[in-house]
Amino acid sequence: MADVKFINLKKSYDETTILDNINFKIQDKEFAVIVGPSGCGKTTLLRMIAGLENITSGEILIDNTKVNELPPSKREVAMVFQDYALYPHMTVKENMSFALKMKKVNQDEIDKRVNEAANILQLSNLISRMPKQLSGGQRQRVAIGRAIVRHPKVFLFDEPLSNLDAKLREEMRIEILKLYQKLQTTMIYVTHDQIEAMTLASKVIIMNKGKIQQIGTPIEVYKKPNNLFVASFIGTPTMNFLKGIILFENQKLYLKSHDKFFFIPNFAFPLSDKYINKEVILGIRPDDIILDDSKIDVENKVEANVDVVELLGPRENVHIRLSSDKTICATSHSFNSTPNSKIIFSLNYPNIHLFDPKTQERIN
Amino acid sequence: MEYLFTTANVIFFVIAVLISVGLIELYFYLHFKLYDKKYYIIIPVLSLVFFGVVISFLNIYSTKILIYFAIWEMFFSYLCVRYVKGKNYLPYMLIAPAVIGLMMLLLYPFLFEIYLSFTDLKLTTIMQWKETGKLPFVGLKQYINVFKLPPLSETTFWQLFGRTLLWTFSNVFFHVLGGLLLALMLIEIKNLRGVYRMFLIIPWAMPQVVAVLSLRGEFHSEYGFVNIMIKKLIAAFPFLTQLGIGPVNWLSDHPLLTCTLINIWLGIPFMMVVILGGLQSISQSYYDAATIDGASYLQKLKYITLPLLKPVVLPAITLGTIWTFNNINIIYLVTGQAGGTERADILVSALYKAAFVYNRYSYSAAFAMIIFVILFLITTSYSKMIKVDN
Amino acid sequence: MNKKLKPFFLHLFIIIAVIIATYPLIRIFSVSIRPGDRIISTDLSIIPDGASFISYIKLFKETYFLRWIFNSLLITFATSFIGVSLASTAAYAFSRYRFVGKKWGLQLLLLSQMIPAGMLILPLYLMIMKLNLINTYLGMVIAYSVSSLPFSIWILKGYYDTIPHSLEEAAMVDGANELQAFYRIILPLSTPALSITFLFNFTTAWNEYLVARVVLYNPQNYTWTLGLFELQGQFITQWGMFTAGSIIITIPVLLIFLYSSKWLVSGLTLGSVKG
Repeated sequence: MADVKFINLKKSYDETTILDNINFKIQDKEFAVIVGPSGCGKTTLLRMIAGLENITSGEILIDNTKVNELPPSKREVAMVFQDYALYPHMTVKENMSFALKMKKVNQDEIDKRVNEAANILQLSNLISRMPKQLSGGQRQRVAIGRAIVRHPKVFLFDEPLSNLDAKLREEMRIEILKLYQKLQTTMIYVTHDQIEAMTLASKVIIMNKGKIQQIGTPIEVYKKPNNLFVASFIGTPTMNFLKGIILFENQKLYLKSHDKFFFIPNFAFPLSDKYINKEVILGIRPDDIILDDSKIDVENKVEANVDVVELLGPRENVHIRLSSDKTICATSHSFNSTPNSKIIFSLNYPNIHLFDPKTQERIN
Repeated sequence: MEYLFTTANVIFFVIAVLISVGLIELYFYLHFKLYDKKYYIIIPVLSLVFFGVVISFLNIYSTKILIYFAIWEMFFSYLCVRYVKGKNYLPYMLIAPAVIGLMMLLLYPFLFEIYLSFTDLKLTTIMQWKETGKLPFVGLKQYINVFKLPPLSETTFWQLFGRTLLWTFSNVFFHVLGGLLLALMLIEIKNLRGVYRMFLIIPWAMPQVVAVLSLRGEFHSEYGFVNIMIKKLIAAFPFLTQLGIGPVNWLSDHPLLTCTLINIWLGIPFMMVVILGGLQSISQSYYDAATIDGASYLQKLKYITLPLLKPVVLPAITLGTIWTFNNINIIYLVTGQAGGTERADILVSALYKAAFVYNRYSYSAAFAMIIFVILFLITTSYSKMIKVDN
Repeated sequence: MNKKLKPFFLHLFIIIAVIIATYPLIRIFSVSIRPGDRIISTDLSIIPDGASFISYIKLFKETYFLRWIFNSLLITFATSFIGVSLASTAAYAFSRYRFVGKKWGLQLLLLSQMIPAGMLILPLYLMIMKLNLINTYLGMVIAYSVSSLPFSIWILKGYYDTIPHSLEEAAMVDGANELQAFYRIILPLSTPALSITFLFNFTTAWNEYLVARVVLYNPQNYTWTLGLFELQGQFITQWGMFTAGSIIITIPVLLIFLYSSKWLVSGLTLGSVKG
């Protein structure tokens, strides 16, 4: 049980900087998910916690102890690897008990803990198999079991689900969540899949290009993305972005984009004075584009044509053509849009996101 | 008794090697680990003393080596304090035993050969060298001699060189050709492939000394299988004599041809196995696609099989070239006994004879250096060619 | 080509090749069981009239044959053991670590393969002479022990390269130090490659002839290669004993080779370990 703290952490190979200015804290018993596109440095960060990568500068504290110089074996963390890294020449049981043997735990205790973990993960009848004889999902369980038996201070997961097929991934996601609720230990989970991040995390750390973009609960990062990157990375379908100029006409605020005028109420843009006649980027999630006739703001509606419609079962994605080279996506539950027909819509004003095109930061 | 004694000797040696590996590791470990301690100076001093004791105890080399070791010790301690500084020193400890072994038994002999090549050591000066430990320095004379004086009794350097090229390229060519043909046939055979393959690799699997010596017997002019067969053929089809076919004195008239035939027989299985492995790794879908496109067998061979085999075959050819170029065994075993012919000798076998039959040690050292350079040039141009191709 | 004729010709050609490949061995066998008075003859039958094992008996009675085999085994095992143990650790460093001189080291190992055979025999001979080890096993072991090292290091490095790094990392997170990760995880996993390297070292030393020729001069201390060569002198070849000895040497070697040939081939391009 421990918290993990990063102070001014930096990592560079030769000249290139992989991670810079990492400062945050993961509380005890928190499920922290580090998410970002591939190459953003998230795995490197995880490996630095484990002690598999050197720290260029800064500090990592686990349970208030500086671990910079500690070898991996002394850090009392457990890690689940992307390729599972099961020892191919050992049975499931030997795999799970390896760490305890290294620690010279006595045999009875080892048996007890391995059986316990095997029960939790439903591995009891596979205990004497070799990794080669297991399916992908089973290997994944063994890898997790190997971490559980150690009762570590911190669990580290390095994209553990990326080698599984879609259906299994969903199942394992739920299993991991159950496990977390049962074990109540600090977990740090790295993934590039924002859905995993949203569903698992109690704290999401979004990274890009070696820098932390935003830290918060899943709802916070979804509702109030700090910058353009976070806004575009979190949520499916992706947020729509409209680049345009803020106009102030007839005591009303508009965004002029692609020759269309989008009304912006004052409460949604308190800093509007500074941006009049300047470029901004408006972000709006597909769910926040209102197509339902009964809810549309008739006064400020926008007219356009439907481009294509993707039917997804419970809902459909309507792609609306604003101009020859710009379409935006909206979700609808009414199933009455046909391609090339006229459509009217308005924005769900409380959920408008505005960004400065230069700094890419949020401005409302 | 002596039997047991020598056996014990070897076992003792293996243990001694293990102990010295341990000592080497300890030596490096102490140096790397304690570099920042105040008493670090003790470590080099201690190891110097220890080394001195071992040297005098074994009574092998002069005290000169102790001075070299002291210099090394100073240099190494400086290195540890200044550069290594406790950084990850594990790799150095892992390679140290192998590196020391290679230095003593590969690098040192190699450097010694270079030294020899600038002196004049032969049967007449060897006693003087043993007594005084000094050899006359003769500069590049030995290198010039290699080209001026024949390395053997009459065959000159250039004749040997030409023969070596002929030997190497004809062997490698037939190895690849034979291996390719056999592999292409084997890949077509679905059942029995394993059995055939097992029999076909017998020449590779047989100990070379056995294979070469017995094949040499088969080329004997009277009792060898080859001539017996020729005689039987002539008896059955008398017209063959008119075509000029008859028993041949293989060993005395065509020694190089005999050696080449033997070596081709020996070398085909290796190439066959390598190429077969390559063929098996080519996906069937390429051939299916080509069949749909209407390609004939030869077209498939030309456009699919051969290009895809390249990455497997080219390294094997490079290796094969080095091995063939360097192959003393066959020629020495076929022609090497007292009174054997020198008309089959290639560079490397002539080198061995120059040193151990004619006892011209310095001369052969210079000769060896020249051969080394030739082989180096051939191999590097080869691997350059491969790289350009890819 | 006709659909039915094609397999027939294929098999025909392959069978001819098989005969060419195996005939010399069969000949050796048939000569070895010829009766004593007809060892040298132009007879081509595989099982000669009056076949007997007289040559085998003579071989054991009149020569040091068993001794030769023993000598060879002793020298070969000692050198292979030393060679593989040195190569296994060095190759690991070359495969896993970045260190000063790594690139150079690998290049030099390759370069050492181009040293012409026979070039190092003379200095090694002089060294062994200085150490007073001429005509001893020990001298042979010293001369052989590193001869296959460069190649072994390359083979093993290639194999280690195919083992995912995450295995050692997992072991280290599990509480092993770097050395433990090596000998508890990587070494056991590398058994196939280690066996191949051992076999390679073994066959090189087992079949070596030229160094032995120079270092050993007492018939009792000969390795089998020297012994067989002596039996086949230029003028009086002891064909019967020579062929009998050849068969005794060849059969076990052949069996081991055929048994391990599947890996031996893949050993040069060893595939990945899938966990």
